[in-house]
Amino acid sequence: MIFSLNEVEAMGRRAARGAGLNWGHAEEAGKAARWIAAHGLPGAELLAELLSRNEGLSHHDVAPAATDGIWQAPGGRLCPLITGAALSDRAGEIASGHAFELGATSFPLLLAPYAAAIARATGTAVELTWEGARLVVTPKGGLAAEGDGVAARDAERVTCRGANSPSAAAPAGIAHPDVDGSAWQRLVAFAQITYAPATESSRLAGAGAGITDND
Amino acid sequence: MTQENPVTASPPQAQLRSPDVVMRLERLGCAHQCRLSFMRVLLRRMQREGWTFDRPVFDIDAKGVGVAVYCAHGPDRTYSLVAFGHDLPAEQRSDRVIAHAWDSTFTLFDGVPAREDIVRLSRNVPKQEAGRVSARELSVSRANRSVRMFEHAVSRLAAGAQPDIAVVEDVGYLMRTTAVYGSGKLGAADREAWGERPEFAGSFQPEMLSVYLTRAYTLDLVEHLARCRAPETAVAIEPHLRRRFGVGNSTGLGLAPYIINHPALFNNWIAARETALARVRALPSASAGEAAHFRTMLARARRNAAEWRSEHPVQVRKLAELTADLDRLTAHADGGALDGGNPWDRLYRWAEDNLSVEGQEQLVSLVLEPYGALVDGLAECMGADEARHFTIDGAVALTRLRAIAERVYAFALNVDWAAREANARVWYVSEEKLEPRLGERFDEPLAAYEQPLQPGRDAVRMLADIEAWQGENSVAAFLLRHPEHRHTARRIQIADRLAYAEIRDNTISADLLPIDLLRVKLAFFGANRFDPRSDRWLRINMFQDAPFPHELATSPVDDWSYPPPPEVLQ
Repeated sequence: MIFSLNEVEAMGRRAARGAGLNWGHAEEAGKAARWIAAHGLPGAELLAELLSRNEGLSHHDVAPAATDGIWQAPGGRLCPLITGAALSDRAGEIASGHAFELGATSFPLLLAPYAAAIARATGTAVELTWEGARLVVTPKGGLAAEGDGVAARDAERVTCRGANSPSAAAPAGIAHPDVDGSAWQRLVAFAQITYAPATESSRLAGAGAGITDND
Repeated sequence: MTQENPVTASPPQAQLRSPDVVMRLERLGCAHQCRLSFMRVLLRRMQREGWTFDRPVFDIDAKGVGVAVYCAHGPDRTYSLVAFGHDLPAEQRSDRVIAHAWDSTFTLFDGVPAREDIVRLSRNVPKQEAGRVSARELSVSRANRSVRMFEHAVSRLAAGAQPDIAVVEDVGYLMRTTAVYGSGKLGAADREAWGERPEFAGSFQPEMLSVYLTRAYTLDLVEHLARCRAPETAVAIEPHLRRRFGVGNSTGLGLAPYIINHPALFNNWIAARETALARVRALPSASAGEAAHFRTMLARARRNAAEWRSEHPVQVRKLAELTADLDRLTAHADGGALDGGNPWDRLYRWAEDNLSVEGQEQLVSLVLEPYGALVDGLAECMGADEARHFTIDGAVALTRLRAIAERVYAFALNVDWAAREANARVWYVSEEKLEPRLGERFDEPLAAYEQPLQPGRDAVRMLADIEAWQGENSVAAFLLRHPEHRHTARRIQIADRLAYAEIRDNTISADLLPIDLLRVKLAFFGANRFDPRSDRWLRINMFQDAPFPHELATSPVDDWSYPPPPEVLQ
């Protein structure tokens, strides 16, 4: 199905919230799905898979336990949304040459939009590497991706560090991505959790009707 | 200087009004349209650039069913309103968002639609939220007839008579829009696709263009239906009376969260207006022509207040205050208040001591009127790229984040958040229509669905956790362990950079009037005649008294947004 990027972002945000992320991470998750989709990659699809995989896990299970040494999730695999946000919060360290090492990470492509935010904020290109993939994002939002593992479900080790700008980086070129129908339905189902069931009184009072609206 | 920082622009300016004054809900809820309102910006640009208009399709039957296309040709591009007329049974006519059928439905097309575009749109636009549009469309909207006005106009015109001026002035429009969707909604083009086009510099320009062309359609439609009904006797509406019709709009709660969810954009709207005010207040004197211009607009504002109808007790009180304020202001201006040095600054200070908030905010709009050359350019600063402000700076010391929060949310530190009245409401999204709603926290099981639309309370919660924090003194370290404050930390950093980004009031208190949130947004659109139908539902009029597309080129520039002086109407 064809969606606008605004729709991908809004659905991504609601779905991430429905899956239990806090509002701040959910907002960033919506933007992440949008950023990846705008680059012609499966942003909405990867988000749907991630939310399904992590259903029922707590923040503590999938967030880095510590940010010195290799980042590891107590529950097994790092959530790329929470980890990406934590990397983004350390943008200055990355721009000044520090390399962060991540242990096992789910759907590592979902880290790329956070690397793009770091690049934008610091003016320094940022590189992500894992088994079978090397990505560089530029301060202007371009992406150079190589390797057959770009859309991998898992990475055992990811490195995030500053890099030189690549000679060729593709800008976000997709205006209206074609999203896999079943992935979209999974996002819809997560988003549904955030909606309050209607009652007759809320239906009337919540929107503020009461006197005639038809004159 | 960046585009989003009009505050540092060059002409001399008085001190800006404090956000602690400007960003209170009571004052936001007294906002009036002004020179920087988006409808006025649109018509000024189209006049300046010599836009032309035509109506290549008007294929509508005697019941109002069919399609019409209105084209607006600018210097580089053409935009077309595609309007579908429907035969709506009276019992299905509702302005509420839960409606599923309308008298007319619309889309703004990027270019001139080909026959196959119209066929595609005819299968989707009439269904509104249940349909899909494409990247070729910039907006989707719908409108219902005013039961009081529409049939009256058709039957009068069919009989060769003009509509009754009393009815026209009482209602003010033939049709009311009940939603105008833009920016990627329902599959339409994202703002990023057209945001850089010069004709859309500022805010909400495609939506305003859509409504402007919709107004022309509603007048054409009644005249057409009158001709169909009685071809021998029907007449058109006399031009001066025709101008008195705007487009109504009925806005519910769905719009209210927008200004909280777009803090950078909202800041830029307010900052542009406040900068305009500060520039005018800095003027050392007013010329005779400028003073006369102000007095004329003041007289027209009095007429606007006199014609402004509402039955809502809050607005009835505000209107009484406004009318008295404008009388007082007129006497003060007639008494020489504009003579001598720094007249506008003195006038504003006088207003602070002598007028209600409604009157003060009306004055803010009025003092800008004589000074288009000084303030109109600020409209270019009223767009925003929210994404630019989105990324949290995790390197900031937590102690600094706390200091900012204590400054921006000072109002919230004095609220007892354990009290029911302070915490009475919940913003949530309804399953039924996926629309924002406001519920009663202590009466309904809604807290689990709460949306992040109470920045004051949430900032206080964050401050409590900062107080207890023993870890590293950085935002990054704090948010890794307290992810629930991530949304709030982002807002605080935005509000630190952008002074008017945050409403400095409790948005979930028992005495919240959601219409205050609606009114400030609609005033920036350029609406007038705010008529609350409840505490959370507002009717307005748009483009009333504006020249129609075929009149735009020969009309005075930007002279329509208050009713004409009485002698013009005779």
